[in-house]
Amino acid sequence: MTADPFAPHALHPTAGVAAATTDLSKVYGSGDTQVTALDRVSIAFREGEFTAIMGPSGCGKSTLMHCAAGLDAPSSGSVRIGTTELNTLNDRQLTELRRDRIGFIFQAFNLLPTLTALENITLPLTIAGRKPDQQWLDRVISMVGLSQRLGHRPAQLSGGQQQRVAVARALASRPAIIFGDEPTGNLDSRAGAEVLGFLRDSVHELGQTVVMVTHDPVAAGYADRVVFLSDGRLADEMTYPTPDRVLDRMKAFDGRSRTS
Amino acid sequence: MLRTALRNVLAHKARLVMTVLAVCLGVAFVSGTLVFADSSAAAYRAAATRNFAGVAVTVSAKEPPPGTAAANEPTSVLDDALVRKLADVPGVAAVRPAVDGVATLNAADGTPLRADKAWAHPAGAYVPGKDGKDSRYPLVKGRAPADSGELAVDSGTAAAGHFRIGDKVTLATDGPVMTKQLVGIVTTKDSRVTAGGTLALFDKATAQQLFATPGHYTDIDLAATPGTSQFELAKRVTAVLPADRAEATTGSAQATQQATNIDMQTRGYKKLPMVFAGVALFIGSFLIVNTFTMLITRRTREIALLRAIGATRRQVVRSVLWEALLVGLAASAAGFVLGLGVASVLPDILGTSSDPLPRGPLVIGMRPVAAALGVGVGVTVLAAWLPSRRAAKVAPIEAMRSAEQPPSAARSRIRTVAGLALLVLGAGLLISLTGAKDASEANLQRAMFGCAVLVAAMIVLAPALAGPVIRLTGRLTRRFGLTGRLAQQNALRDPRRTAATAATLMISTALVAGLAVLGNSTGQALDQQATAGLGADYVIGTRTPTLTIDPAAAQRVTDTPGVRTATAVADTNVTIGGMARSISGVDPATVKDVMKLDLTSGSLADLGPGRIAVSSTVAREIGVRAGGKTNASMGFGPDRGFKQYTVVAVYQDNPIANDVLGARTEVQQHSFKPGSVQRILVRTDKGTVSKATEDRLRTAVGNNPLLQVQDRKAIVREKAGSMGDLLTLMYGLLGIGVVISALGIVNTLAMSVAERTREIGVLRAIGMDRAGIRRMIRLEAVTVAAFGTLLGLAGGLFSAWAVGSLANGAMKGYSLALPWGTLLLICLLSLAIGALAAALPARRAAALSPLEAVAES
Repeated sequence: MTADPFAPHALHPTAGVAAATTDLSKVYGSGDTQVTALDRVSIAFREGEFTAIMGPSGCGKSTLMHCAAGLDAPSSGSVRIGTTELNTLNDRQLTELRRDRIGFIFQAFNLLPTLTALENITLPLTIAGRKPDQQWLDRVISMVGLSQRLGHRPAQLSGGQQQRVAVARALASRPAIIFGDEPTGNLDSRAGAEVLGFLRDSVHELGQTVVMVTHDPVAAGYADRVVFLSDGRLADEMTYPTPDRVLDRMKAFDGRSRTS
Repeated sequence: MLRTALRNVLAHKARLVMTVLAVCLGVAFVSGTLVFADSSAAAYRAAATRNFAGVAVTVSAKEPPPGTAAANEPTSVLDDALVRKLADVPGVAAVRPAVDGVATLNAADGTPLRADKAWAHPAGAYVPGKDGKDSRYPLVKGRAPADSGELAVDSGTAAAGHFRIGDKVTLATDGPVMTKQLVGIVTTKDSRVTAGGTLALFDKATAQQLFATPGHYTDIDLAATPGTSQFELAKRVTAVLPADRAEATTGSAQATQQATNIDMQTRGYKKLPMVFAGVALFIGSFLIVNTFTMLITRRTREIALLRAIGATRRQVVRSVLWEALLVGLAASAAGFVLGLGVASVLPDILGTSSDPLPRGPLVIGMRPVAAALGVGVGVTVLAAWLPSRRAAKVAPIEAMRSAEQPPSAARSRIRTVAGLALLVLGAGLLISLTGAKDASEANLQRAMFGCAVLVAAMIVLAPALAGPVIRLTGRLTRRFGLTGRLAQQNALRDPRRTAATAATLMISTALVAGLAVLGNSTGQALDQQATAGLGADYVIGTRTPTLTIDPAAAQRVTDTPGVRTATAVADTNVTIGGMARSISGVDPATVKDVMKLDLTSGSLADLGPGRIAVSSTVAREIGVRAGGKTNASMGFGPDRGFKQYTVVAVYQDNPIANDVLGARTEVQQHSFKPGSVQRILVRTDKGTVSKATEDRLRTAVGNNPLLQVQDRKAIVREKAGSMGDLLTLMYGLLGIGVVISALGIVNTLAMSVAERTREIGVLRAIGMDRAGIRRMIRLEAVTVAAFGTLLGLAGGLFSAWAVGSLANGAMKGYSLALPWGTLLLICLLSLAIGALAAALPARRAAALSPLEAVAES
């Protein structure tokens, strides 16, 4: 890939913070059945950085992402996206924040079956009532290689293609941050590698910020930084990871099942 | 498998609630209407029986055989002497002489009370017994009437007429208006009064004067001592009665007779609920089938799992059937209870304030119970059976792979072909009727069959039509932007489900639109017919054919300010050409002012004694033309002779002018009350029709409650009396259709919201707000409702057009007239129902957390 004028901040560790949590806790249930999913987690996601959140099943990595993305309300602590404190927002403002400043990629693709690929990609913009920036849209679509498939419905696309549509949808509105929840969980390794490549390209070439939850060391290897969660706490952090180093670190979470 | 079924029922409470609700409502309508029918019949019978509770035998006068009695001799033998004689008959406990007649009262504001019900105005004498009271009419206020200037009425009448003790009340029995002072208010068990009539009581002498001859009674009621049977007493009484002049009838025989009479009079009330029950059953079945189909489809995965772990197809089907049976039983029971509620409010809905239905305890017979079980359990099990078979056929692995099973193309094709065949058959039948000349029984049956086939075709074709129609309505919903587009596409996602949901609305809309068009067209035809030949602005007539108008009143009407011409018309019978026909006697000088007569030949100015005009039909039938002569005999009775008349004119048939026109001076001599007139036709200055004019005319005829002053509109309303029933029927059907459709839409939407939880979650996650989600669901509901309504309108209008041609043959002046207002109302109501039904599912959808998108996988 060639150098890109749209990505001036690529790999600048001192860049601004896209999102951050402070003393974030999430407790489910009460009394005997009380489960602490997150325990005072403070973490910052820098702009233009690709972060992977890892950890064994039940470590709270999904909960962390849900809270950071404004999908779930924390029990205590705070989350901010850019300079916006989420706990000061009502449901409507939160919805608008998700619409305008956050992109999502889900494990199960979650495209609307009645809309075409293009309509799915521009859906967040349509909801916001905004005109897409055509130049940007073209770039995104050509990057994920969907130019020939825009009129297709999700049912007519393969799993990998569907997830590429989802990636394009997340990128379309140029959000401040994109959250991915096991984005390769439903894909075979080749399609998974493609999607991860696109995510990395979007960070390095387009200057996007991406946070991805995964339990796959190979997927984590695409990230700039990996944070490890264990029992709801921040356990470790690794920059410039490789799959082997991540796997070694994961093995250190002894005795726990890593299957999900 | 029973245990699996039971577990299943309890495990899915939300689904359970919806199914139960569907079955429950269907059962409630059917059992409710049946219970209502039974109860009202029982109430009528009870009212009738109660009326004769203390009466063992009634003695009444008998018409003397013709020729045996001299004309002036009093014909009645029911006098005080007979009363004393009857009191001595062994077994007689009490004797109550009665003087019964009819009296119509004016309310305090001068308008006649319950004037439209001629049978509902009993009047009689207050005849005190030994204790000074008349046990039939317990006084609740005031005292009994004591002289000819006094009157008592029942409490219902006093309330309806706004009378208070001491008020002057105007009334009439068979002639001039009387004014009497109200001195007492009584209660009565007379079913004619409890069913909404009025009761007027006079003192004995006055009543005898009015309804019999002085010193005579119309009936004598006898009570029996304990141990004496009615039949035995009747035999003993007959023995002391002068044969040929009086007869004895047992109380039970009279009660039976009265019950039969009332039954006949009120048959219409029972037919109506049965129609409702039928429609409710039909539409309700749809709801049940549809709900169960969705339930089973939702469970395809679960069923596939059962199959995968070794359950046989038969076991799967049986488990579903058990479940349906349990649900059906529970829901039928609940529905039956709800039906009792329906039955108890139906009298309020069907009866009007001027025409209330009798009240009585609910009667729960075997028929409603059987119907409730049959409908509830039968339809539910059947509804479950078809989809469960389909589900069991699905290969386990295939079902587990995807929850959504698009219907096979071959199946839809077969369905479309079958639907088209039905459509051709139904439409063909109906179109063939447009050439029909009359509304014969055979033609009517063909019309009904054609309509039924057409409805079936629409139901079968609906899924195929859903695409094109919804794409059409989508042009409107798209204006709402993304939510509208999503709504349209969601409605199209499963055309069969959309079609099934819309079917209830489609059927009821078709029924109601068809009825509305037919009703409107018939109404207009009647309208034209009733007033076509009328040149007058008002017609003053009598309420019953045995009454006449005082000829002097005609002069008073002429002198009323605002009246240009008033012509008295004498109506009587004439036998001409071997047939009894009606003849109207008019004033040749003014007849043209008040009747629009279309003369084919001759001149009306030549009317006079011995000179008549005939309608074109009569002219054709007896073969006479203007200038010709014919033999005719005017009036009633055996002793009239034929006379030769000259026909001076022939006019086009005219309902106002009757078959034959004569000179009033001659015709009125042959009236059943010689010299009387029956109608006054009034032409006002400049054709003014106003309440003030009407009031002045009423005053001119002495505010006689037995006379009616009608303008053209009132005449049309009277002619169109049966149209009122049609209207009730129409709105009742619309109500049932709307309620059931609303439930169906709620059901379908709730189901599709549940299925699309994740999609809705995604929309929320990527930024659609709650209002947007709500709008999307609402628009989907409105789309489905609009689809049903459009299809129903098309079917209803087409059927009305085709069936209308039958009416065209049977009714003069019939032409298709679309009631735009009503049709618009139907459309708006249907759309509103769609939006309303969506409220709950929309709220549920909007409440979904965006997390659902990620959490549920």
